[in-house]
Amino acid sequence: MDYFEPKSVREALSLLAKYGDQAKVIAGGTDVMVDIKYKEEPDCLVNIKKIPGLGAIQENGDSLRIGPLVTIHELETNKLVREKLPVLWEAAHQFASLQIRNTATIGGNVCRASPSGETLAPLLVLEAKGKLAFSDGEKTEAFKALFQGPGKTSLGAKGLLTEIDVPYPAQGSRGVYLKHAVRGAMDIAMVAVAVLITPNAAKSNLQDARIGLGAVAPTPVRAAKTEAMLRGKPLTAALVKEAAAMAASESSPISDQRSSAEYRRWIVEALTRRGLEQTWKAATGKEVA
Amino acid sequence: MAKAEYTVLGTSIPRQGGVERVIGAGIYGIDLALKDELHGGILRSQHAHAKIVSIDTSAAKALPGVHAIVTAADAPDVRYGRTYIDRYMLAKNRVRYMGDPVAAVAAESQAIVKQALKKIKVVYEPLPVVIDPEETMKPSAPTLHDDMPLPKNLPPDAKVKNVCSFTTVHVGDPEKAMAEADVVVDEVYETKMIHPQYLEPRIAAAQVEPDGRITVWANAQAPFSVRTDVARLLGIPLNKVRILSTELGGGFGGKASGITSGAAIEPICALLAVKAKRPVMIVLDKAEETISTTIRSGAKMYIKTGVKKDGTMVARTGKVVYDAGAYSGFGAMAGARCTNMLGGWYLMPNCHIDGYVVYTNKQVCGPVRGPGGPQAAFAVESHMDSIAAKLGMDPTEFRLKNTPKPGDKIIGVAKLRDVSLGETIKTAAEKIGWGKVKLEKNQGIGIATGSWIESAGPGGGAIVKVNEDGSVTVHIGKIDMGTAPRFGIPLIAAEELGIPVSDVTVVNVDTDASPWDAGTVGSRAIIVSGTATRLAAIDARNQLFTMAASQLEASPDDLEIKDRQIRVKGTPSKSIPLATIATAAHNVIGEVIGRGYCDNQAMMAEEKARGSSQPFTAHACIVEVDTDTGNVKILKYVAVHDIGFPIHPVAVEGQIEGATAMSIGQALCEQVVFDDNGRTMNPSFVDYLMPTINMMPRIETTLVHGYPGAGPYGAKGAGEIGCVPPMAAIANAIYNATGVRITKLPLSPENVLRALKEAGKA
Amino acid sequence: MNLTINLTVNGKSHSATAEPSTSLLDFLRDTLNFKGTKLCCNTGECGACTILFNGRPINSCVTLAADANGAEITTVEGLADGEKLHPVQQAFIDTGAVQCGYCTPGFIISVKALLDRSKHPTAEEIEEAVSGNICRCTGYAKIVDAIQLAADRLEGRS
Repeated sequence: MDYFEPKSVREALSLLAKYGDQAKVIAGGTDVMVDIKYKEEPDCLVNIKKIPGLGAIQENGDSLRIGPLVTIHELETNKLVREKLPVLWEAAHQFASLQIRNTATIGGNVCRASPSGETLAPLLVLEAKGKLAFSDGEKTEAFKALFQGPGKTSLGAKGLLTEIDVPYPAQGSRGVYLKHAVRGAMDIAMVAVAVLITPNAAKSNLQDARIGLGAVAPTPVRAAKTEAMLRGKPLTAALVKEAAAMAASESSPISDQRSSAEYRRWIVEALTRRGLEQTWKAATGKEVA
Repeated sequence: MAKAEYTVLGTSIPRQGGVERVIGAGIYGIDLALKDELHGGILRSQHAHAKIVSIDTSAAKALPGVHAIVTAADAPDVRYGRTYIDRYMLAKNRVRYMGDPVAAVAAESQAIVKQALKKIKVVYEPLPVVIDPEETMKPSAPTLHDDMPLPKNLPPDAKVKNVCSFTTVHVGDPEKAMAEADVVVDEVYETKMIHPQYLEPRIAAAQVEPDGRITVWANAQAPFSVRTDVARLLGIPLNKVRILSTELGGGFGGKASGITSGAAIEPICALLAVKAKRPVMIVLDKAEETISTTIRSGAKMYIKTGVKKDGTMVARTGKVVYDAGAYSGFGAMAGARCTNMLGGWYLMPNCHIDGYVVYTNKQVCGPVRGPGGPQAAFAVESHMDSIAAKLGMDPTEFRLKNTPKPGDKIIGVAKLRDVSLGETIKTAAEKIGWGKVKLEKNQGIGIATGSWIESAGPGGGAIVKVNEDGSVTVHIGKIDMGTAPRFGIPLIAAEELGIPVSDVTVVNVDTDASPWDAGTVGSRAIIVSGTATRLAAIDARNQLFTMAASQLEASPDDLEIKDRQIRVKGTPSKSIPLATIATAAHNVIGEVIGRGYCDNQAMMAEEKARGSSQPFTAHACIVEVDTDTGNVKILKYVAVHDIGFPIHPVAVEGQIEGATAMSIGQALCEQVVFDDNGRTMNPSFVDYLMPTINMMPRIETTLVHGYPGAGPYGAKGAGEIGCVPPMAAIANAIYNATGVRITKLPLSPENVLRALKEAGKA
Repeated sequence: MNLTINLTVNGKSHSATAEPSTSLLDFLRDTLNFKGTKLCCNTGECGACTILFNGRPINSCVTLAADANGAEITTVEGLADGEKLHPVQQAFIDTGAVQCGYCTPGFIISVKALLDRSKHPTAEEIEEAVSGNICRCTGYAKIVDAIQLAADRLEGRS
């Protein structure tokens, strides 16, 4: 296995351009090391941790720029993440174990593109954007276009994620990340629901409602129909019920060794309901009517 | 606190071997490195059931760095096994589960081993796969073992297949009694396969010595059984094989190959070492362990009980279908235990239970921590609550109503001596706040009891050697995996010899030097090795006293040892240093060597005559059920146990807590999942969910006293019984919380939510 | 293709070569002969391989040895002060939290890191520190006792 520690994005990109599918990028390594041991040792391993400038968290006006090499623990202990992007913070806080959080990176979690990736549903509802670098140029892509299938992103084999830009939610917004597991953080999410709502100024209806679903489709997804149905409406118990059922119908889970598709849909419904109730209460101070 | 009459017994002196473990000394099997060693690896079957048409190792052999490749053709045509001699160490002609070893490689590096294994070409002719034992029993099922007979004691009209063994329990006239009962409850319970999941991987290392003997290092619970297997399967005499035990990072009945004919890697390693003419070490990978080594079987249990209106149980009938896995292994014994225990440990005057142990194309049953017991208890103790509910009786009152007294008999036990069951129930009820604690919505309280007879296996010996300075080396045939050998055993030797515990060293097993032992299983360590050590220490003491008597001008009966001095009782000034006598032995008898043996036949005869002194237990818990997701959280958990006299209370508590945790895992999150082809779908810890600290309640252990057992000083075995009640305790608490009875394990969120939805409760 | 890795382990410099795919765990155990850190699941799920990497607890089995170039590693072998055990080590012995002992090094490292950052850990902090460490022997009961005892002793409360 060839091994490289590129010192710049350009160097990394030229390696990826050269090796293509035969190369694997490694950041923290908590997923890639398992692949190397139990699946296939790639022809070429590109360790990007020596590339400077990819590990910072910086406020940029009304968004937070997060470098792909930022570890999950760095996210978890960052004041800005906790205060401004609590739904992302909650995901970092429920991410595996402390040992894993000290090593795993947000870029790795994104590029792994597992439907159950902890940070993915939150990043979708936050409408994060990624800076994708290729040897022939750079582009910015909304995360909703980034995920293309289990393990697949629009980076392909030759692109590199160089920045994650997360706009701060609108004033008054409240979000929650609900991870369904048997044991807790140590589990891979069986179902994940991220809810972010913004009430109107009078706190009487939903100016915006965003629902992100993890582990119930080939990629993390937004429950777009449900969101559209909710927007502009006051949140009532009946509406919550309807929205929860609709979100479940927008999911397309599989049955696997962890659980059945039917059960996953029940959980999407339950957690969507909880998420809406909790965020509405947090945002308006009132229980759902 | 030590009992008044003892110096060190009953105290929890920190375990010997603690320092090595906290500083990370390389004491485990996996830490071994032999000089010039080759790495070994095993090729396992890719089919759960298939004929082996051919094995072509030529491409693999040609790889540089490969020193030996073995298949069944390279070994004597000898099988091994427990109930039946039904298994080859490397599969010959047929594979019967996906972990079945087919070939093995020794090479210069792990990487080359991996490559070589990939290059071995095995041609299989797949055969139909059977996973469900009830399906496998049907006459239409494929035959898994053509040359294994059906059990002779099967009922004459039984039309079954693939039955490895059959047990039947019959007392009184159950048909008549059931017909006369006021209330009958008829249920079916099911448990799933779980894996013992010791943390330290299994290893074997072997080298051929200059004199041709084979030395094998094993992290095995039963070193003498390993020796038997290696000798038998390689066709060499026992004195040409030496097994050296390493320290074990857990075992739980999963490292007891030899006892169970399950997954023996030691003979394979020895064969590789012989062929390669170099030492070989095999280290199993976690995923490989889950698919290949011995497991706790799943069981399906039909249980029907008739009771009188006042709550007296009058009859029980039932059937057990116990999953043996691909080979007979420990299935017969575990299945028999399950069948007997399905009769319960309460008064039961009429009973008929049939137990079938059935082959399937899956991992083999091993003596995993309380084999057969937890499964039976899940059924029995859940069923007790179902009956109580139907009667409108409090579950503790119903149990107490049927609790036996000293002298009574229960299913499988002709006479009980002391019965602590009632006290454990009352104590558990008190500790959990039964009838008192205020429960919130979706919270519930549950209780379940248990018993466990320490396995009636062969005994074992002990040798106590007194060194010149009066310190002592103890040889027993049991290994240290965190159990009695380095907790309680040193206390026994110290107590009988009147020396400080730090003067006692218990050494690990070397089959050349240690006394024979059946293995570190069955809750037997304190009973067998404890008894043997006590007798050996007394024997050594008597020899010392005989030699000291003339010098002290006293009779040996008037002597005692205290503060490393042998002295006359009542006249402490008449004393002589223990070291002096121990050294003087050189000129008299060579050395003071005390010998002791636990006579199992005598012990069983005594238990029969005086009544069984088996331990009892009651566990209780409070749970909270999330009716949206099915998640169950245990808020409080109490484990009340009668363990006789606890020689080392902290050790006893530790065993109880660990066993309880294991069954909490089986209740809430553990199971081995298969696809229809018999492939294990969750071999690694990613999806084989081990209980983590955040989901575990604080297990509050209480020991009840006053019920002496068959062990030394009245001790009882503590290693397994904690596994027996938890699943039912939790299921009963879920029932109390939700009104829904769940009869299939695990009580996973999905299974709980589904049950709630089916009952209209969610 | 071999890499040269220079690192500090328990305060001492080491230099050795390894293939690039080598995990830090294998490098510590097999190349540098530090057997204290244990191999169990090999996939980052059990914590038996926990070491401190520049003071932070990580799973060494899913970390590249190459990443340890220039790093300061602490393993369980580095905690005792000569014959004197670290209070965490002593507490594990004293409360009976060591049964088979295989999970013990990983726990001790996680707990040492916890007590380094929090003198009075709450139940929640304890859970967060060690929910990535699995024990099969103890049911965690006496491990919790050990953590509390170690915390008390470090603070002179016991």
